[in-house]
Amino acid sequence: MKRRKFVQSLVAVTPAVVVAQQVAPPSTQPPATPQQPVEPPIGAAGRGGRGAGAGMEDTTKLEITSADAVGQMTPHFFNADQYLALEKLSQILLPPLKGAPGALDAQAPQFLDFLLGESPADRQQLYRQGLDALNAQARKKFQQAFAKLSDDQAAQLLEPLRQPWTYDPPADPLTKFLRAAKQDVRTATVNSREFSVAGNAAGGGGRRFGGTGLYWNSLDS
Amino acid sequence: METTEYDVLIVGSGASGGMAAYTLTKRGLKCLLLDAGPSVDFAKTRVLKPVYELPYRGFGKPGRLPHVLQANEFNANQWVDETQVPYTHDPKTPYNWVRVRMIGGKSLFWARMSFRLSDYEFKAKDHDGFGENWPINHADLAPFYDRVEPIFRVSGRKEGLPQLPDGNFIPDESPDSEATKRFAAAAKKKDIPVTKIRRALGKGPFASSYNLLLPDALATGNLTIVPNAIAREISVDKNTGRVTGVHFVERGSRREMHAKAKAVVVGASCLESTRLLLNSKIANSSGVLGHYLCDQFYMSNSVVAIIPEARDGKGTRGMVGGGGYIPRFRNLKKGEKNNFLRGYALDFSTGGSPDAKYFGSWGEQLQKDLDSTRGAAFGCTSMGEALPRFENKVTIDKKVVDAWGIPVLNIDCRYTDNEFNMAKDAVDTMAEVCHDAGFEVINKNPKFFNPGYSIHEVGTCRMGDDPKKSVLNKWNQSHDIKNLFVVDGSSFVTAGSQNPTMTILSLSMRASEYLSDEAKKGNL
Repeated sequence: MKRRKFVQSLVAVTPAVVVAQQVAPPSTQPPATPQQPVEPPIGAAGRGGRGAGAGMEDTTKLEITSADAVGQMTPHFFNADQYLALEKLSQILLPPLKGAPGALDAQAPQFLDFLLGESPADRQQLYRQGLDALNAQARKKFQQAFAKLSDDQAAQLLEPLRQPWTYDPPADPLTKFLRAAKQDVRTATVNSREFSVAGNAAGGGGRRFGGTGLYWNSLDS
Repeated sequence: METTEYDVLIVGSGASGGMAAYTLTKRGLKCLLLDAGPSVDFAKTRVLKPVYELPYRGFGKPGRLPHVLQANEFNANQWVDETQVPYTHDPKTPYNWVRVRMIGGKSLFWARMSFRLSDYEFKAKDHDGFGENWPINHADLAPFYDRVEPIFRVSGRKEGLPQLPDGNFIPDESPDSEATKRFAAAAKKKDIPVTKIRRALGKGPFASSYNLLLPDALATGNLTIVPNAIAREISVDKNTGRVTGVHFVERGSRREMHAKAKAVVVGASCLESTRLLLNSKIANSSGVLGHYLCDQFYMSNSVVAIIPEARDGKGTRGMVGGGGYIPRFRNLKKGEKNNFLRGYALDFSTGGSPDAKYFGSWGEQLQKDLDSTRGAAFGCTSMGEALPRFENKVTIDKKVVDAWGIPVLNIDCRYTDNEFNMAKDAVDTMAEVCHDAGFEVINKNPKFFNPGYSIHEVGTCRMGDDPKKSVLNKWNQSHDIKNLFVVDGSSFVTAGSQNPTMTILSLSMRASEYLSDEAKKGNL
């Protein structure tokens, strides 16, 4: 966990911003964007003099690589039984279809482990109880864990998903969990790097799959 | 440093404050405009990113903006941070207060739906006996709607409907698709009118005070805009009872400041304006300040249907696509019997794709269902008038302050059977029309979002002729304090089923012209 957070922070914060944060005096100076690191404000040169301008001209942008390209997410939130059930569930809900990556290719279970680890307690409980319930039903009906079931057996336990959608979540916790998981696994998959890369390769331009958007930087920075 | 006394200090730079600045500066008044947020450099603040580069793959940081369903991971920073400026409510009666603090306010992000209120709203009490009439009618406000609509470049189709007065439109002559025509024909058999959406085209990327009002106001040389100035309290001269300016906190440094003016115009958004008056302990001899909070309940995808001939990718441009607007059609006739008062409007679209949640399938079958219905869906959003009730109110929560030490609001607002019954009628009626049009209904949803979701909150500082029952007179002027005006949605008496922005803009223009006339006569 610690390691992953560290890697993420490298992705999110480019070296130029790290420099800017170290040197910027509090609140009086507009912070630099990644493309425009500032020289340390030493004396007159630092206050908009030639020193700052020279620093901007000299900067080159380093080529960097994302954490996902070099490492795997390591699950930590769910216990082993829950995680295996989540993998199986993800694979059934969204297998590879029409040449697009499925949930497992997109590392949806690893991502959901991370997301749920950061989520409010009621959401965490919904997932943990839901996965436990899937395992309990699998053991009761088929005498083995959910992850060990055949796809047909597993699909029998997903029958509650056939109920029509309602705005209010279903009263039954397992049905409520399955409905949440169906949506979350799908979003985690179609918004993944893998899905986008495959979409681009297939000529989809990436926009069909999650796509790009205008990201708002913090207004306080 | 010498401090200027301005003619008018305006709090808030959105639709209402921006229009006040536009109107007052053109008439030669020196105005100071304070906004709680920054002036955004859009090119620098917004960067194009693929969703997979966001830390939460588009889910957003869990629990960050629990009340803002409109927020996503891309735009999370655009909304007011709920931990910085909190508000409180009973956990059993949640209220979704959606806020923006930047120059231009929410007018940078609105859906641009541009409708007039009719005398069914202005004189609502005359029709059904509930609540109060507005102190004005459509004829009073029409000359201002007439001038606001061209500034915002509102497109629409004239229909001559009494419940949705026509405006000064850029004519919308776009053809309707076959599916839209069939839906409209089925609706007509039930006496339900269908028209084009009426929409502010604006200019460039925005239809905002930011680009349509404030540049002209600045060009007069009479406007000073100060961003990051958070109004804490309106100051009052104890001898005269008149307001003298505004105490504000500078957002970054937290310095406490005061600016002086001969008059104050509040347009900080409905609930922020009322919060400022409540925290200033002024303008409430009536005791109704903070009361009669209302809005429209919203249900997106009230009815989801499939247009059969467009299944399996067969939909073509003329067959499906586009949508329309259904103005209120209930309770317009004398003696009409429904199990609710007032009415609702809807907007609809054809040619979309239904969400995966509407199918009871997964895996390969779900993919088939999605492929088969892509571009073949009908969807509609219902927007119903929530009645103005005394019990729906905001008060100052004395136990909680925001990041600048300003006491926050407690919001106590709930919907009742009138809204629930109206929502059920909307869903059942639309499902019938879909059926009559030959569409296959796949989902009906009579449950709506929490109050506040529509971002059309109005009331809490309402206008009226009787100073015992209202905070403002018919000119948006405080009954108690002659040089204090409140020009945003808080002044509404009823919510109507229409989106409020055109009415806010028109009221602000009208109030500002009155203010400048009175100032010239020395009456403030």
